Amino acid sequence: MRCRRASLKTGRQRVTRGSFVAAGFLVSIVTGVLLYFLPAIQVALRDTGQVNTSLGGTVQLKPVSASENLSSNSPFTLLLLGSDSDSKFNGDFLTQSMILTRVDPATRHVTMLSIPRDLWVRLCTGGNGKIDQAFLHGGAQCAIQTVERDLKVHIDYYAWIGLQGLVSVLNELGGVNVIANNPVMDDYYPADLSGGNPYDYQRILVLPGAQHMSGTLALEYVRARHDDAYGDFARSQRQQQILIALRAKTKHVSIADIPSLATSLGSNFQTDMSIGQVSGLLPVAGSVPLGSITQVVLLPPYTSTAYVGGQDALMPNWSLIRPEVAKYFPVAA
Amino acid sequence: MRRAAILICLMMFSGLVANRTLAVLQTHATTASLITTTSPQVRLPGTIYVSQQGSIYAISGSTVRRLTLPQGGDWTQPRVLPDDSLLVIRRFDEYSDLYHVSASGHVISRLTSDSQASTNRTLQLDHWILWPAIGPDGTSVYFATDSPKPAPSQSYEVDFSLWSAPLGTAFTIGDNGVSGATRWSVPDLFTGGDIQPVPLPDGSVLYSSYANTGKGTVVTRLGLQTTPNSPMRSLTTLHQDCGAPAVAANGVTVAMVCTNSGQTADLEVATLAGNALGPLRVVAANCLCNSPSWSSSGDSLLYMNASDPNGNFGLWYIANAGGAHPGAPRRVTDSSVDLDATSAAAWSSR
Repeated sequence: MRCRRASLKTGRQRVTRGSFVAAGFLVSIVTGVLLYFLPAIQVALRDTGQVNTSLGGTVQLKPVSASENLSSNSPFTLLLLGSDSDSKFNGDFLTQSMILTRVDPATRHVTMLSIPRDLWVRLCTGGNGKIDQAFLHGGAQCAIQTVERDLKVHIDYYAWIGLQGLVSVLNELGGVNVIANNPVMDDYYPADLSGGNPYDYQRILVLPGAQHMSGTLALEYVRARHDDAYGDFARSQRQQQILIALRAKTKHVSIADIPSLATSLGSNFQTDMSIGQVSGLLPVAGSVPLGSITQVVLLPPYTSTAYVGGQDALMPNWSLIRPEVAKYFPVAA
Repeated sequence: MRRAAILICLMMFSGLVANRTLAVLQTHATTASLITTTSPQVRLPGTIYVSQQGSIYAISGSTVRRLTLPQGGDWTQPRVLPDDSLLVIRRFDEYSDLYHVSASGHVISRLTSDSQASTNRTLQLDHWILWPAIGPDGTSVYFATDSPKPAPSQSYEVDFSLWSAPLGTAFTIGDNGVSGATRWSVPDLFTGGDIQPVPLPDGSVLYSSYANTGKGTVVTRLGLQTTPNSPMRSLTTLHQDCGAPAVAANGVTVAMVCTNSGQTADLEVATLAGNALGPLRVVAANCLCNSPSWSSSGDSLLYMNASDPNGNFGLWYIANAGGAHPGAPRRVTDSSVDLDATSAAAWSSR
């Protein structure tokens, strides 16, 4: 009897010890995994899932109602914002690029509409100005609010990227393959990423035709505008082209790549999507066929040039723009 | 006690293994191999010159050698002269120059000095010279340069136009044109201009001419001029968006790359009859292809194409590309090799 009790006790001790050992292994493995994803966790805490804040209590943003869209395969609208984030701006960034994007994971269809940065609109702050100033005055929320109100659309998410972040991510992905539409030349291209005087110029030339572009070359391709018959419009088309080329790269990105991508982005990225949603977007982007991408640029007659408030601007023809936008994007409630 | 220590070590090791396993699963951006560390997949006759990472390499049968050109800048766009020496572009960040070099890479002469900014510090005075092509008699060079252009601060305009000059003497590219050279074309402004000249046996020049469609896009078409500054005749439509012409030794079979206003391209071949181009035949469809060039015998076509999972641009080959039954495209270089896709291969018979 005593012997049986002793045996039971020993058995219990063994189970307890075994549990401790298993827990120890589990903790060690989880720690290893957490350490691997630490850069991504830091970025997730700092740059993703940004809280929507109102401006002086006057702007009330809609709650992000489509937060489950990525998992439910429902279509959603994403506002992509890009800024010159070099030292000239000291943190006060304009958005040189605004691309309203509709993603339908079920049909694998994507629509990209570039909003000209010089579009003269009513800003979220109440006054009129170029749409690129919305981000300057009130961050992503003001940019979203302005686009929603002026274009009469509903935006589910936003993502903002700075120049250096774009270069780093493209390099991290090994560059992109693009068919450059024409020789892109600029004798007054800003030399603001090399660390010298940010107001200096440099000459750039991107040769035409299919080629492999590093992050820096791709940035030159999407940013140059001076020697271009269509100026900012052509630049918008090239920005969409690089996004399409990036789509091909996302096919090869796995969850194990998230930390290195997060590290390369540094502080040059912000979004209100969670890191899970960002990583969920990658396979969706990679599965979109080339023929299922609609590109829209608001050329004349949707816009016309004007001199307003002492500066060159583009005046919107809302009676043409809004019906065009409504074809692809759900109208705001 | 000892068992506990071993267990703790094993636990820590398992954490390390989990961490490193994830690192292994990471999709590393692959670094392209140098062409000299690989072997050609297809052995072609003669010598083929290609550009990779700023150097020029010569492929002869199964061997690949690097030309011993001076350090600095990127050497690109080689062209073979009748005596087997080469014309090569040396490109720096803000200008480029044309050099005449031997088959081994020894500099015979420097034909341009396009860095004006080094003396007056106005970088807009620098110039590009690109796409050299050798005239039919082997005594002249055709090229594209961003001259003339307005004086600095007068305009943002900078576009390529086509010129020709006698070989053997240096010529000077200035803001008002090229001294000692003949201007051939006047570009459509703010489009990139006219590039990739191909002198034909009858003295005319075929080239890529960029045009503003007036509908928000800039596209290219093949243009033909019979004499300098004569009106350009369009051989392809704006919608076809065809450029990068290469003419076979027979002087009439033309290879070109057309996007048909899409995001991918087709490599196409047609016959030039007088001032018109015959029907276009696709020899490689739906590709990321660029820079076609013909063999000296005129029946085989080389081009750059990105087709492997890493997206590297390799050298590809189509036998009998100008004939009724062209061969299937075959990759010449290893998939790990990433060549300069904007630099056409130069194919010498020797």
